[in-house]
Amino acid sequence: MPKKYGFVQELIKNRTLFLMLLPVLAYFLVNNYVPMVGIYYAFVRFDFNTPLFRMDFIGLKNFEFLWRSGKLTELTYNTIGYNLIFIGLGNALSVTVAILVSEVKSKWFKKITQSVLFLPYFVSFVILSVIVFNIFNFEHGVLNTVLKALGADPVDVYSKPKVWILLIVVFYLWKSFGYSMVIYLAAITGIGEDYYEAAKIDGANTFQRAWHITLPMLKNTFVILLLFSLGTIMKGQFDLFYQMVGNNGLLYSTTDILDTYVYRSLKVTFDMGMATAAGVYQSLFGFTLIMVVNGIIRKINKEYALF
Amino acid sequence: MLKNVNKSAGVALSMALMASVFAGCSGSNNGEAGASSEPAKASPSASQSSSAAASSSAAASAVPAGIDTSKKVHLQFYMLGNAPKDLPKVEAEINKMAQEDLNATVTFNFTTWTDWDQKYKLLLSTGQDVDLIFTADWTQYQQYAKKGAFQPLDDLLPTAAPALNDFVPKDMWNAVKINGKIYTVPATYQEYVTNGFVWREDLRKKYNLPTPVDIPTFEAYMDGIKKNEPTLQPLAIGSDVRGSLNDTYLDVFRKKVGALPYGMFASYDKPAEMTSYWGSPEQLEDLKRFKSWADKGYFSKNELNEKATNQEKLVNGTAAAMLGDNPTRFNQTNGNMKSLHPDWELGYTPFAVATGYATPVHPIHNGFAIPASSKNAERALAFYEKMVLDKRYNLLTQYGFEGTNYTVDGGYYKMVGDANTNGFPREGMQGWAWRNPEFMLFEPSYDGVKAIFDQLDKVQKPDIYTGFAEDYTEYQAERSALEQVEKQYLFPLLAGQVKDVEGGVKTFMDKAKKAGLDKIQESYKKQWLAYLSESGIQ
Repeated sequence: MPKKYGFVQELIKNRTLFLMLLPVLAYFLVNNYVPMVGIYYAFVRFDFNTPLFRMDFIGLKNFEFLWRSGKLTELTYNTIGYNLIFIGLGNALSVTVAILVSEVKSKWFKKITQSVLFLPYFVSFVILSVIVFNIFNFEHGVLNTVLKALGADPVDVYSKPKVWILLIVVFYLWKSFGYSMVIYLAAITGIGEDYYEAAKIDGANTFQRAWHITLPMLKNTFVILLLFSLGTIMKGQFDLFYQMVGNNGLLYSTTDILDTYVYRSLKVTFDMGMATAAGVYQSLFGFTLIMVVNGIIRKINKEYALF
Repeated sequence: MLKNVNKSAGVALSMALMASVFAGCSGSNNGEAGASSEPAKASPSASQSSSAAASSSAAASAVPAGIDTSKKVHLQFYMLGNAPKDLPKVEAEINKMAQEDLNATVTFNFTTWTDWDQKYKLLLSTGQDVDLIFTADWTQYQQYAKKGAFQPLDDLLPTAAPALNDFVPKDMWNAVKINGKIYTVPATYQEYVTNGFVWREDLRKKYNLPTPVDIPTFEAYMDGIKKNEPTLQPLAIGSDVRGSLNDTYLDVFRKKVGALPYGMFASYDKPAEMTSYWGSPEQLEDLKRFKSWADKGYFSKNELNEKATNQEKLVNGTAAAMLGDNPTRFNQTNGNMKSLHPDWELGYTPFAVATGYATPVHPIHNGFAIPASSKNAERALAFYEKMVLDKRYNLLTQYGFEGTNYTVDGGYYKMVGDANTNGFPREGMQGWAWRNPEFMLFEPSYDGVKAIFDQLDKVQKPDIYTGFAEDYTEYQAERSALEQVEKQYLFPLLAGQVKDVEGGVKTFMDKAKKAGLDKIQESYKKQWLAYLSESGIQ
């Protein structure tokens, strides 16, 4: 009968391992857990001369600005909507392209495609926004110059909120899918050759091999990437939205997300309480989301769950 | 045996890792810890004699008798913007002198211009070691002071910096007071940062257009440009339509007393008559004018997304005029333009020509304060006194090393090399706040600015707006919500991009009221009137 070890015995038995774990624990404690005390800022009236725990407790008053303008639902909706599209389309596209690239036999073509697709990842959003502005500017943008040369009427893209849903998604994908594609490509390389050889002998064509071997083997990578991106669903892509839309209020109805809203609100005030309140809201939302999704995944297949 | 070796190696490795994790935390304290172990030295009299060679004014070189300098301290000095390349050399030289004079050393820190307002906020609210920090009306000095972010200097000044206390005129000390206390050391150099029309003078001459002196002539000028140079954008505004169109327009056209927020309006002549500009017939009239400008193509349809600055557009020749810039910056733009296009020229008319008055810069506009978290307030103030009044400190931190960075030629400042090769351009540390009129050196091109200042001196009246310190604690949630509404519904109106102006204003007012506009305006007005009666302004 196996003897049950208590925690203390476990500690003594594997003391070296635990000792080696210490730095990591200390790191997380110092950098990730201790600062959480600061959450309390969200519930007090900020004052420069009082220690945190002696400031006036004001309950949820700091959260008020979030719903004051009646935009909280719209913002939450926009934020989640965009991120779902990003995650869905982004993964679909990168898996597809990763499979295509992996099937290519020519080595230099493979390398070049990979690099070309990966490059936009390094373009800063500030530069991207300048590029976008130079394409869509009404008076001297590339688009309208071409349209005018063709004899068509110029379009003012910057006053059409609906178009920007598409534009933002397109530029997001352009910029980021190369990165996840490389991850998938690495996962595909890791799949044993023998599966494919066996399938070939059985007469499976390229499409069937991709569908029945590659895709199922990628499921694990996909689930991990998905869970990682879900955790940040409430705070992703500030740069993208802020740089592309900026001060243009005409586009806010379809392009405003929590991050940009909070940034604009708090740019005019220096209140720590309100800034923290916004952060707490985002974190709580992200936390709930990742717990729920992880729970669902664990129900379906325990091995794929993150924890 | 082998097992043991492995074990101890593992222990050693984990200890090393742990050390590296914590190494980052200790760095900031090194200066002070190392410093305190050094024997105290440098009695005031000794240091004075050793630095006798200095040509500083007599009052400044004396170490203030009132403070105890026996313990060595290290000061953290914070300035906005970017550090010049030669800063380390300047800092080393300053430290040599400060060590001798005050038994103190200093680190000059710069925030860079990227997100400086966020960094500024964090510096003050996280209790970080900051001993001296730049303040201005545009960094919200009044609000920070009111909320207790800075230490009051009233009691410190006579003991820690008596010479500085005498050097700054009494009325300036009074002008920077918030709730009756001094929180910042104002700059004494009197300049104007008031606005004026800026336009391409060479094109005006070429097409014989009127000289802009007020809004109608400015309109006529833009119209002439549009007709004669169809591809050139007559007016550059940029994405900050509130600041560079609406505020400047109200400044010159309706004589607004200052950049009052929340759509409040009061004229310079009758500051006590405060009304809501938003929703008024005047606003509607102005918005229609902006729209007509947009419709006629005086500025771009996509001004809200513009990335280039207005000055850049003038210099590059993509725009012909600006509604409002200050004399110094105009001069700079003109210089930049001439270096690229020698045959182009810019013209300037101060708004004072139209309004009949100009307000010299308010003392709050440039200053240095000691944050509440500073533990070395006395020494910081004494050091700042040196920066302002000791010629060696002042020239070094304003212009760099004479001979290496600049030369003095016929009383004028002359840069060595050009802006790219010189490691410390003129006022390279953004030293606006510690300018000392007695030591200041100017470039010959600055004579143009001085001429404008002389013109403005004749019609100068005091700035009655900047001294006002708003307290928005009571309506801070409403304020943030309102800012959003403004950006979303008012900015497009200002940029002339809403077809139905009346309807647009109505939507904007509805949303603003929902965000709590009435509460904000009421409270703001009450504070404003209290301020006026307190400071005796009619």
